[in-house]
Amino acid sequence: MTESNGFEPKIIGFFCNWCSYAGADKAGGMQQAYPPNVQVIRVMCSGRVDPQFILSALVKGADGVIVLACHPGDCHYKEGNCRALQRHRLLLLMLEQLGIEKERCRLDYVSAGEGEKFNRVIHEMVAAVRTLGPLMPLPEHDSHTIRSDAPMSSVAAP
Amino acid sequence: MKIGIYFCNCGSNIADKISSAAVIEAARSFPDQPFVNILDFICSEDGRLRFEESLKSEQPDRVVVAACSPRDHEATFRRCMTAAGMNPYLLQMVNIREQVAWVTEDPQVATDKAIRAIRGAVGRVRLQQPLERKQLEVCPDALVIGAGPAGMKAALSLAEAGRSVVLVERTPFIGGLPVRFEELFPALECAPCMLEPLMGDLLHGDCAGRIELMTMAELVEVTGFYGNFIAKIRQKPRQVSLHDCIGCGECAAACPATTMNGFNSSASERKAIDFAFAGVLPNAPFLLEGVCVRSKGEDCRACKDACPMGADVINLEEVETVVERRIGSIILATGAGLYDAAHVPGMGLGSLPDVYDALQFERMLSSTGPTSGEIMTANGSAPASVAIIHCVGSLDEDHNPYCSGICCQYAFKFNHLISAKLPDTIITHYHRELTVPGKEAHTLFQQAVQNTNTCLKRYERITDLAVSLADDGRLQVSAHGELEPADLVILCPAVIPAAGADSLSALLDVSRDSSGFFRELHGRLDAAQSTIKGVYLAGACQGPMDIQKAMLAGMASVGHTLAGLQPGRIIEIEPITAEVDETRCAGCRLCISVCPYHAITFDTEQNRSRVNAVLCHGCGTCVTACPAGAINGHHFTNAQIMAEIEGVLK
Ligand SMILES: Cc1cc2nc3c(=O)[nH]c(=O)nc-3n(C[C@H](O)[C@H](O)[C@H](O)COP(=O)(O)OP(=O)(O)OC[C@H]3O[C@@H](n4cnc5c(N)ncnc54)[C@H](O)[C@@H]3O)c2cc1C
Ligand code: FES
Repeated sequence: MTESNGFEPKIIGFFCNWCSYAGADKAGGMQQAYPPNVQVIRVMCSGRVDPQFILSALVKGADGVIVLACHPGDCHYKEGNCRALQRHRLLLLMLEQLGIEKERCRLDYVSAGEGEKFNRVIHEMVAAVRTLGPLMPLPEHDSHTIRSDAPMSSVAAP
Repeated sequence: MKIGIYFCNCGSNIADKISSAAVIEAARSFPDQPFVNILDFICSEDGRLRFEESLKSEQPDRVVVAACSPRDHEATFRRCMTAAGMNPYLLQMVNIREQVAWVTEDPQVATDKAIRAIRGAVGRVRLQQPLERKQLEVCPDALVIGAGPAGMKAALSLAEAGRSVVLVERTPFIGGLPVRFEELFPALECAPCMLEPLMGDLLHGDCAGRIELMTMAELVEVTGFYGNFIAKIRQKPRQVSLHDCIGCGECAAACPATTMNGFNSSASERKAIDFAFAGVLPNAPFLLEGVCVRSKGEDCRACKDACPMGADVINLEEVETVVERRIGSIILATGAGLYDAAHVPGMGLGSLPDVYDALQFERMLSSTGPTSGEIMTANGSAPASVAIIHCVGSLDEDHNPYCSGICCQYAFKFNHLISAKLPDTIITHYHRELTVPGKEAHTLFQQAVQNTNTCLKRYERITDLAVSLADDGRLQVSAHGELEPADLVILCPAVIPAAGADSLSALLDVSRDSSGFFRELHGRLDAAQSTIKGVYLAGACQGPMDIQKAMLAGMASVGHTLAGLQPGRIIEIEPITAEVDETRCAGCRLCISVCPYHAITFDTEQNRSRVNAVLCHGCGTCVTACPAGAINGHHFTNAQIMAEIEGVLK
């Protein structure tokens, strides 16, 4: 906190229902505190996370976004997390073009039993974004292109 | 829109960290200014009643419950909604216990985080739509594939429970691998004596009328879903009517064409029309098309003329047909085979005489086999020494990494049977590990250990062994360089999935593990279910196992059908599925390529994709992939998720 003048980042976390959301619950059961900066949006599978959700979160004031999925091979729907990984890679390329540090968007894997790993990942994510400081607002035209009913095909890799 | 927020104190679990007063205050600025109702333990009986009463009196249009994890009680609160006359999908839960109160130190900070999350939920719930669970009547009948021990047990038990069963077996006979065996471990029970009553019941017992046995048949296509599958089955021609044939064998006696009998590892002859082996069930011959002289253009009718049961029993014009059956569940019981030991260098299978794999040796031991049960070398003499090599291609990263689990047991069965027939023969077991688990396997093992003509030698790697011909023409085994004569070598190769498991897996979309066996839904919790709902697994098709386990697995698979598919039962289908907005679909079919469940089909006339709601599992992958935004993920729509993002960030 010292290095960033008390800046508290806002982070959105997309957790899949089956592994990572359960991992977050497990971390809760362990009752070990972690930074409160991550607001959780539950989705059934990481494969549902549209890159547009992430961009939109950044436009609407988030300083970072973390997507947590089941470990490779463990996705409840077989391969949704592979799609999530493909999309994440494309998204990172796009962020680079927009001049956004790639550390602001993280994809990681947490199983239902990995309460400790969850706790660690949240600590790391919050620390990383805190070091980067607040995200400058995205250019206005970008927020215009993001509609709430259509995904951005350019980054929505199959 | 009237929105109700129900805030659970969860005793002190939540109340200690999150101020309900602050939530009430904050809610004033939320969209639609929801009312807030504070309860102590909503999930308790009292709490649920109060929740329901409040829903009835307040009649909110949408409900937010801020409490524990939805993974704990979403289903509970949905039921309360239904009980109060509301659509259960108009509820959104906020997890302020596991993901806020329990993990945030400072109450002020925790309260702030909870308020954000509740605001997100309010934004989202406003856009939620009532959803209906579809209802569908199930078909209680089953298709069993493979008539080995597991499949026979499953088919018979289902029939005993009053279910109709289609039993599809690709060979001309039933019984699976064990019909090849004379005696069985662990107790040296006579295999035909053990299997025949079961097979008799299956063919002619009280419940046989409910079992449609199709031999020489194969599954070619399956459509539909749990409770309502349509299977297409290819019936190859036997040219002999199972219904009318009495199994007298006159046709075989009259048949002029001979070939080697594949069932006896081509170590004996058969006629073009003949039985697979003596005593086979169903007791009827079958015609090998390519061997019959008619296939060479001759107009032979010797078999037909010899049949004492009339002209209709043998139909030389019979052709392949494809039949369709409706069933509710499918049991895969396709069993196992042996790894080809010719892949293991130095074993000599196929290149040296008197080297057999275990199945070939089982046939030599069998009274219906090529030597009528006599143990002999190729030149017809009794072997003075026999080598049994265990773990051939098992427990070996170069071949199959797993232990096949049953080989040591049949190897010691061989030891016993060889010693009984040839008491002076020296038997050497070359083993890498020894596996004789359970309460019964030790008997045959102890007998072998106590047999003074038996020697157990441990080797480290299969490459330390080599089978070769000595100068005198006798076989010999070298182990770590040490030479030992062996007149007969028996190899115990790894148990592998039956041939064709790959195409069946592709056809049904069931997953296989890295060794090619069908993958269980869960190896411990759900070992009788495949990865596809309504497709069950039984027996050696899911991993090496003995007959006891295969029979048990057969029963376990039956349990699922009986428990899940009672006649007349209606199944409810979860409405959290994807749906294509046909006015926006451009027909690119990207969704079809990403759907892990083949739930999306393409209507070529309309040029539109269409989701089958019953097959859809609701993962939302297609929703995200659709470049036109034409797929709606019910209950997780883009708009709902966007509203939640906006709400938590405000
Ligand atoms: C050499 C050897 C000796 C053994 N000795 C013993 C013993 O003494 N005692 C003991 O308890 N166990 C013994 N076993 C193990 C025993 O053979 C298995 O436990 C048993 O065969 C498993 O039964 P199953 O029904 O699962 O499979 P299987 O017996 O393999 O039967 C599967 C059936 O499915 C059919 N099938 C396969 N694919 C298809 C398809 N695509 N369509 C239609 N039908 C298909 C096959 O033709 C077969 O009839 C031995 C195994 C071996 C290899
Ligand atoms: S369900 Fe967890 S990533 Fe798909």
